[in-house]
Amino acid sequence: MSVELTAQRRADPYLDLEDYDPEADLMVLNVGPQHPSTHGVFRMKLYLDGEVIVKAVPYVGYLHRGVEKLCEKLTYTQVTPIVDKNDYVSPMMNEQAINMAFEDLLGVEVPRRARWLRTVLAELQRIASHLLWLGTFTLDLGGAIGGGSTLFLYCFRERELVLDIFEELTGCRFHYNTHTIGGNRHDITPGWAKMVHEAISVIEARTHEYEAMVTRNGIYADRTRGIGVIDAGLAMELGLTGPALRGSGVDHDLRRDAPYHAYDEVEVRVQTEAAGDCMARALVRIREMRESVRIVREMVDGVPEGPICGHRPIKLATQTKIKAGQAYACLESPRGELGTFVIAGGGSGTACPYRLKIRPPSLHALAAVPYIMPGHMVSDAVAILGSLDPILGEADR
Amino acid sequence: MIHIDPASELGTLLRERFGAEDFPKDAAPLVSPERHVELARVLAEEHGYRVFLYVAASHWPVVAPNPKKEGDTGDPEHYEIAYALRRPGPNTDVAHWRVRVDVGHSVPSLVPLFAGADWQEREQYDLVGVVFEGHPDLRRLMMPEDWEGHPLRRDYAIDTACPPWR
Repeated sequence: MSVELTAQRRADPYLDLEDYDPEADLMVLNVGPQHPSTHGVFRMKLYLDGEVIVKAVPYVGYLHRGVEKLCEKLTYTQVTPIVDKNDYVSPMMNEQAINMAFEDLLGVEVPRRARWLRTVLAELQRIASHLLWLGTFTLDLGGAIGGGSTLFLYCFRERELVLDIFEELTGCRFHYNTHTIGGNRHDITPGWAKMVHEAISVIEARTHEYEAMVTRNGIYADRTRGIGVIDAGLAMELGLTGPALRGSGVDHDLRRDAPYHAYDEVEVRVQTEAAGDCMARALVRIREMRESVRIVREMVDGVPEGPICGHRPIKLATQTKIKAGQAYACLESPRGELGTFVIAGGGSGTACPYRLKIRPPSLHALAAVPYIMPGHMVSDAVAILGSLDPILGEADR
Repeated sequence: MIHIDPASELGTLLRERFGAEDFPKDAAPLVSPERHVELARVLAEEHGYRVFLYVAASHWPVVAPNPKKEGDTGDPEHYEIAYALRRPGPNTDVAHWRVRVDVGHSVPSLVPLFAGADWQEREQYDLVGVVFEGHPDLRRLMMPEDWEGHPLRRDYAIDTACPPWR
């Protein structure tokens, strides 16, 4: 590993290759858009000097579906199932983020039972999302963990348990459409809490095993320590949030610092790591999984009695009229701050948002690529990309 | 609803140093395009708002004067660009402000201050058509390079035909 090059923490993304070395025989390596380690359809052009990356030029937009434009033609209640598909690894978070913004615009109070339920669902979703990240990340590192696919399959096995819980509650394993403006649509069934307890005890025991498999593995450590270092200043400037920001030593978590749902009624222990490399981001996520298990265990039995929705069911979507205004609502998704900025137009046609902007944490994480990748080897590019945990459905929208 | 209290620390800063007059109950205050880079710098360096959150531009078509209302001059076609910065940590807070420019004018870019503004401004240029002055690499981000028009403008019909390979 080129130590002196990794010490250069912030590469110039606009580097003119003529300035680098006019004599150098640079090779251009195109990675993606169809490539297993890009976690979707992400493409980057790597300029290589030998095996060292000199410049990385990322391209996004291959999965651009025009969600924001589509939302301008949909009524507020019709938006939820559309945004489900944005971050397809944690659909619950998308629904919650969008409905929180609409609730803020409407001034709708969410009942306490729904807020508790949302918290439990959010934490379960965080576990599922981090499990999928851990599995694919170790797959990216290839031979590091028992041939690569071992931990990948283990993680998918545990993730199934969480999906079963969601299926029991909402009838869907994915794209739940269970949140609505003012509350939830599906109430918990009698055996649900028991099911959750059984699943999280299995997951908790296994996360200890996986952490040992990951952190006590020499190859894993070699491939992640000191790789892809993002210092706190660059992380904040880029707008990195979530585990990527906490892995750079910034003690910030919206669940604790700006509590939404029922996070003000529960203690959230924020996990941070100072190193800022791939290992730090991995450790933060693994510990967050256990933290989520603890929060779920504390909350799932105590879901308070009461209604799960703050108003009567809306029969006609056009009945939801929102007066003019602008709102921003955000929550801590597994990837960071997932925000929704919405402009509601006044006058006629107010049943649809005038402009809706989703702030995807993955897009900001991918923007870090040209700053941190140069100076590393080609094989490290895969580790860096995996450690940022990008979801292209959310980045491209 | 986004609302900045004019009596708060942020409100005082906006009022006294950046000439924000109106603090609406349901939107962020407007700042002139000439002053907004300085505002971002002061917020980041002096007040700890260092996490770049988002840039969201919106397109507002011409509003004809209402003949029933006396003195109503209507509204020319313009862009409204909303910015947000976050102060991380236990006393977290978000600073919101808006910039308004007429169509055909550009907004000073925040890339020299925030690396994260690079892709955000490219996205808004791509989808809405706002030109950010001083951006080092203002290319389309989401749409193909040879795409015509800016999809998130209000005058861009949602069923605009496009060749099948896109």
